[in-house]
Amino acid sequence: MTTTTSPRESGMPPDDWLDAALRTEGTAHRDEYVDDDGFTARVMSALPPPAGLPAWRKPALAVLWAVAGAGVALALPGLLNDVVREVLRILGAQPVSLAGIATAVGGLAAASWAAAAYTLRRT
Amino acid sequence: MAPPPVSDAQLIARVVIQDDRHAFSELVRRHQSAVRATLRRLTSGNHALADDLAQETFMLAYRNLKSFRQEARFSTWLYRIATNAFLADARKRKEELLGDGDAELADEGPDMPHLDETAGDLARGTALKLDLERALAVLSDGERAAIVQCYHNDLSHEEAAYVLDVPVGTVKTHILRAKQKLKVRLGAWAPQEDA
Repeated sequence: MTTTTSPRESGMPPDDWLDAALRTEGTAHRDEYVDDDGFTARVMSALPPPAGLPAWRKPALAVLWAVAGAGVALALPGLLNDVVREVLRILGAQPVSLAGIATAVGGLAAASWAAAAYTLRRT
Repeated sequence: MAPPPVSDAQLIARVVIQDDRHAFSELVRRHQSAVRATLRRLTSGNHALADDLAQETFMLAYRNLKSFRQEARFSTWLYRIATNAFLADARKRKEELLGDGDAELADEGPDMPHLDETAGDLARGTALKLDLERALAVLSDGERAAIVQCYHNDLSHEEAAYVLDVPVGTVKTHILRAKQKLKVRLGAWAPQEDA
């Protein structure tokens, strides 16, 4: 917004005693500081709570995932069996060692920890 | 070295985008004094009412911050909300919070200075200040709001028009009428050649 006209430059006579009194009073007013005295805390406590996720969001997501899964299962009926059979075949072909098991457990633990940390941060 | 102060615009962006409560509390802390002082003037020194209206002002500002388009300074925008809250409250109460100026002028006549001519300048200034505050209380809500915005908050007529949501001409008329009333009310303070 442009500031083009102020009371002191709007044609008021410079010797206007009332104008001078008002300006003096206005200057004193601007110099005056009102202590917060708990006002900010009062305002902040009166604010509405932060907007969280709507209550219906989780059930809606579960339904959507279920529908998507059912859709995939119907569209590709043999897919799940093929995937499970192939995973078992690959695992069976691998030589089982203590180091391999430890690595797999460690990987799973790290993934779980990371997922939990991310979830807690979001909460 | 101290970090540079965060601007109002940056704080507003944080509130709008992230709902950052700390940013909003900083905005309240920065502007509470000016808003509360203005409302104290508008309510003629009713501090409790002024603080209630100031709280309402910041609540409305929080809810409507997304609509703030930086077309005015943030403080001017807050004055606008505060003035609207004051005028709405005055209408809602349906009582003449500060009396009918014309009637009181006719009934009571001009205020007399509280001190005699031998009083010092400081005391004289204090007495004039008190009389001025009392005289402001008899103005209409619109007239007083115009005086407070233009003289106390040092806004231009255009900014005052934005705050009061009226045309610039109306602001000028309010000020002219207010000053006429104040001159009658405070006639005893006028210089000899002016009286």
